[in-house]
Amino acid sequence: MPISLEYKAKNELLQKFPKIETCLKCNTCALVCPVQYAGFSPTNTYVNNIFSTQEPEKNPNIWLCASCHKCEEICPYEVKPLEVIEALKDEAFEKGYAPEAIREEINQVLTTGYAFPIFQSLHFINRERERRGLKPLGERKVGEIKKIAGKTGLENKMAGWKKK
Amino acid sequence: MTKKYAFFRGCFVPVRLPHIEAVAQKVFSDMGISLVNLDDFTCCPEPVGVGINDKMTWLSIAARNLAVAEENGLDIITVCNGCTYTLRHASHALNSNKQLRDKVNGIISDTGHAYKGNAKVSHFLEVLMNDIGTRKMKSAVKYPLSKLTIATHTGCHILSPKEIMEFDNPFDPTTLDELVMILGATPADYDKKTLCCGWALMTYGSREGAYALLKDKLGNMKLAQADCLTVVCPQCFYQFDMGQWIASRKDIPQYNLPVLFYLQLLGLAMGYNLQEIGYDSHKVKNPEFENKIKMR
Ligand code: SF4
Ligand code: SF4
Repeated sequence: MPISLEYKAKNELLQKFPKIETCLKCNTCALVCPVQYAGFSPTNTYVNNIFSTQEPEKNPNIWLCASCHKCEEICPYEVKPLEVIEALKDEAFEKGYAPEAIREEINQVLTTGYAFPIFQSLHFINRERERRGLKPLGERKVGEIKKIAGKTGLENKMAGWKKK
Repeated sequence: MTKKYAFFRGCFVPVRLPHIEAVAQKVFSDMGISLVNLDDFTCCPEPVGVGINDKMTWLSIAARNLAVAEENGLDIITVCNGCTYTLRHASHALNSNKQLRDKVNGIISDTGHAYKGNAKVSHFLEVLMNDIGTRKMKSAVKYPLSKLTIATHTGCHILSPKEIMEFDNPFDPTTLDELVMILGATPADYDKKTLCCGWALMTYGSREGAYALLKDKLGNMKLAQADCLTVVCPQCFYQFDMGQWIASRKDIPQYNLPVLFYLQLLGLAMGYNLQEIGYDSHKVKNPEFENKIKMR
């Protein structure tokens, strides 16, 4: 088998992501993948890097994936690395391993309706907007987002992590 | 007759790149298209951070945004690949799966909105090509940019997955090159054209990787004699402009390649000057490029 999965969770992992077993380490995906610049070489493709660690959902490298879909469009063996990376991220997020940058971004969306903090520098932002002849920015419909996140359970999940 | 669109500005453009918002308003209004701001829009939400980690919340917030446009009787125009990806993914998922749509409508029901599937989502490039059309664009070009060689970077999320985005060939996109030619400029034929801008690398864990990527990508553009590069997504813009500026203070060479949002180039070709398209807000400036613009 091309990917060296030697540890105890191996069978479980292959059950969840059967396609990784067919990865030939041909490195075609890594040639079009932006993570090649973060040190992934032909002998250590992205897929191989992720699945040869004990608990792949804890591997910080999964978060480097931009979901650009290039690997899945080019892989000659339909391994679809993106699919498994996204599933791992999902699992990692559930278990609370997502990096701070991801959690903070989600927190911003849920509490402000913007993807990143704006209210500390709102004065500066609006001065710049005014200079360009644009109306100032303000609050977004956070109440409605809160209702949505309440129903999907995301709000509770986030609150749980904050306590930890 | 003026056609109206709901202007889905997203987060990045109105907050960090207001000059792009301003140029979009100017250029589209000149072309007879009015961009209407709707106060009820929120973050799309962003696909890589929110979308993958909590799909139901992502789809539901997106569905609410789509419903807002729909209730105003308008189709959506975006200025961001990420917003286009999220909103189009959501429409695709909800229109093709009734069970999912019912579930999502249940989740958003307390917000007073309901998703029906009537609002179409277009990236601004699609509005330029499909609504305005190349003939009308050509006649709007009063000052052709014929002195410029321009490297196009279409970015990832408007191209892939191609069954959903239906925009261009992910490995050989040509639309943006055609649009550059309409302005009278020459597209640069450079290696690594479809490589990502590196935004996710920069944001979620490998700044060094992002600098190495920029070095390769910008170096190839420079090799192909590019005077500047053009993008159609605010993250790409920021990565190439601010990222290039930061990287140039590390150990990568000084490329000094100005980054122009396509609408800024269109504005220049229509007769606006550098100040009017907001070039003063850019981090990377280059006098040679500026001269070629002034002499156009
Ligand atoms: S292209 Fe497919 S088979 Fe080749 S290394 Fe990548 S995932 Fe494995
Ligand atoms: S989707 Fe992720 S793994 Fe695949 S090529 Fe893009 S960044 Fe790499």
